[in-house]
Amino acid sequence: MSDLTPGTELPTISQTSNLVTSVMYAGASGDMNPLHYDESFASNVSPTGGIIAHGMYSMGLASRLLTEWAGGPDRVLAVEVRFTKPWPVNSTTTFGGTVLSVEDGVATVELWADNVGGDRVLSGTGRVRA
Amino acid sequence: MPLNRDRIGTEYPSYTYEVSREKIREYAAALGETDPRYFSDGDDCVAPPTFAACFTIIKGGQAMFTDAGLGAHPALVHGAQSFEFGDEPLRPGDVVECTPRIADITSKGRNEFLTLEVDCRRQGSGDRAVLSRGTIVFLGSAPQRESTGDAEVSA
Repeated sequence: MSDLTPGTELPTISQTSNLVTSVMYAGASGDMNPLHYDESFASNVSPTGGIIAHGMYSMGLASRLLTEWAGGPDRVLAVEVRFTKPWPVNSTTTFGGTVLSVEDGVATVELWADNVGGDRVLSGTGRVRA
Repeated sequence: MPLNRDRIGTEYPSYTYEVSREKIREYAAALGETDPRYFSDGDDCVAPPTFAACFTIIKGGQAMFTDAGLGAHPALVHGAQSFEFGDEPLRPGDVVECTPRIADITSKGRNEFLTLEVDCRRQGSGDRAVLSRGTIVFLGSAPQRESTGDAEVSA
């Protein structure tokens, strides 16, 4: 954690979702909902008409960004996100964060994830030991 | 059919989850993690914070979805999620006892919002490992009277 001044931007992460990332996340997390890898299933039920990434995959990436910046999982106190829009497969999403405040040894960080299509797919906050 | 609001506060039976080195590795690889501790064969191996997803999201929701009296239906999306962590990251061999509970059910417009909490505590010490709080949005099933913002309570 190099700079704790409010307004400091965390280094961003860009990730393209595809069938491989979806299937790996499904297997790792145990969430086998076919919406995340089966085209014919997704075409019937998906809000976008196609395959979308797991919301929890996006939360995992936002948390990875926060944890790397904080210096490891032992420093992370809480992560809280809202899944605001779907993340379509085969598109790139950029994850970022901004330091909001530092109080009593705890830094609060705003977290966000913006899809290349323009949608904010995730917004939330993280709290880490400062 | 709206969800049964009498279920607010219902606690489902606890289940246990044993953290394993290979599962930590698999989860970390799926997220493109690079911290060597997630892939370590040694005593320094720890899990990434959101590894908690592996034992709270699907396993935590199981009892609720099989509770016929609640009326959960498949038209849903995951609206929000939070994790509050304990003092120490999880490590291989840790066993957690997880208790799911319906913390709240509200509605807005045509949709219902169910908050499922899963309180995960370390076996033995009882210390908090993680508290998971998920908001599941059930689409289209909100009771009509409430969807208009009418404060009147139906019998």
